[in-house]
Amino acid sequence: MASFKAHSVLPGFNLALGFTLLYLSLLVLIPLSSLFFKTATLGWDGFWEVATGDRVLASLRVTFVASFAAAVLNAIFGLVVAWVLVRYTFPGKRLVDALVDLPFALPTAVAGITLAMLYAPNGWIGHYFAEHDIKIAYTPLGIVVALTFIGLPFVVRTVQPVLADVEAEIEEAAASLGANRWDVFRRVIFPSIYPALLTGFALAFARSIGEYGSVIFIAGNMPFISEIAPLLIVAKLEQYDYAGATAIALVMLLISFALLLAINGLQWWSNRREIR
Amino acid sequence: MSITIQNLNKQFGNFTALNNINLEVNSGELLALLGPSGCGKTSLLRIIGGLDVQNSGKILFHGKDVEQRDARERNVGFVFQHYALFRHMTVFENVAFGLRVKPKKERHTETEIKRRVHELLQLVQLDWLADRYPAQLSGGQRQRIALARALAVEPQILLLDEPFGALDTKVRKELRRWLRRLHDELHITSVFVTHDQEEALEVADRIVVMNKGNIEQVGSPDDVYASPASPFVYQFIGNVNLFHSRTHALWTQQQGDAVAYVRPHDIDISLIPQHSSLPVVVKQVRAIGSVVRLEAVIGHDGEVVEIELSRERFNLTPVAVGDEIFIRPRQIKLFEE
Repeated sequence: MASFKAHSVLPGFNLALGFTLLYLSLLVLIPLSSLFFKTATLGWDGFWEVATGDRVLASLRVTFVASFAAAVLNAIFGLVVAWVLVRYTFPGKRLVDALVDLPFALPTAVAGITLAMLYAPNGWIGHYFAEHDIKIAYTPLGIVVALTFIGLPFVVRTVQPVLADVEAEIEEAAASLGANRWDVFRRVIFPSIYPALLTGFALAFARSIGEYGSVIFIAGNMPFISEIAPLLIVAKLEQYDYAGATAIALVMLLISFALLLAINGLQWWSNRREIR
Repeated sequence: MSITIQNLNKQFGNFTALNNINLEVNSGELLALLGPSGCGKTSLLRIIGGLDVQNSGKILFHGKDVEQRDARERNVGFVFQHYALFRHMTVFENVAFGLRVKPKKERHTETEIKRRVHELLQLVQLDWLADRYPAQLSGGQRQRIALARALAVEPQILLLDEPFGALDTKVRKELRRWLRRLHDELHITSVFVTHDQEEALEVADRIVVMNKGNIEQVGSPDDVYASPASPFVYQFIGNVNLFHSRTHALWTQQQGDAVAYVRPHDIDISLIPQHSSLPVVVKQVRAIGSVVRLEAVIGHDGEVVEIELSRERFNLTPVAVGDEIFIRPRQIKLFEE
């Protein structure tokens, strides 16, 4: 143990590490491992049957595809929002800045109901789309809208401080070397903020996978089309099929973990190229 | 390529950074903009480079107005105080940047780029660092890479903003000699900003001394040092003693109020009174390298005089703290008060 211990002016390594392990065990590790134990009561065959059921697979696909689409949208437009907030001053900037955090604070059910109302075929925004035969609410598209709303702050808040840190001199140096604006962004600014953008993307993506409250109001929840996996878990719970619910949860957990691990790996790889 | 600056003005809100500047930079010379911080020297450099825009006035490169050309069209190499290297790129890619962002039809082939970059890295004597990242280099190395990067696009003009400001004294001295040699090789019109008078005196062909948005004096290092045009220049470049004419009328024939400026090394000392000498009491004796610095007080009003003697001169007349000696200026410059 002593060999891990780097000298520090602040004492308390043992205490802090012990507390961290205890805290994480109580809050994360034990609840998640109980998921494994509960699922284990099904046996391997039972688990496989639940996990590969057509409806379960369809719901998993809806969840992950919609979450991914929402995270991509957030990465693009969140970057634009962060850019505007960092680079420009305009009246009401602080208000806009505060607005970004609203999805954090708002109860997700409220967000879901509001979005469903706005994007319904007869809603304020929805009826413009309805004219072109595009339905948003009560379709997978509606899920993407809800998840985009939920995930917006993650990208903005992770990219914003990093973008603010990119020195103006770097851009000036690039410009004086003959780089046009697109080159300055693509070759100089983007590589600097890319790790933060990836983090924001991962956070928004992870948040979207677990989202329940806002989605069920706007999704329509049609099996095989717009039914998300968390809803299926709730449905199983309501039927007192606890083991079945944990089985789906376990599948989600494993996929999420694998994806986040992959994103972390990507980050590690891109950080390694740039030694600070 | 020569640079002509005509009636240039720059304001930041109520603050006047540049006040009607007129200046001619000759083709191929190394010019220093010297002044205290906030004097406008960096603003002037940035406007020449197209990184800032003047409120009024003109900048001409080789007689042509460059107002319509932004930084990337001016073909100017810019070196920043804090290097501004791209930290996610290797040294090689940093230097190659300017070549890679050229429009497609002007762009060189990959082998040509490679050749050019290695040539430049050899020029700055850092070829062996091509695969490193900027964070792995020392400050002096980073600045040399920044210079190689600026030179890669074959600029007509090189602008350096306090290029050695962030380096320690020893590296700084090495690097400025190296910059001087490099300039003698390349003969590229260069303007560099500094607040360090020693640096300007050692490196530049000509020095522009600036203060509060105005040019105080333009001249060769020798000119600026030996015959300062204003009290500001006198005080900014080198140490100086001030004597008020009324109290020390014996050194000046001038009537009325004037201030006499005398460099510490232009003061002679003796142990016995001489014609028009002034009695002082030695308060401090410090030997600093090759010179000995005396601090003395003029008897009647406690004014402090700094005197600098060579070690040999000091050994001829050794004085100690508390001695009364007599001083006389060898050279004196009067400015009206």
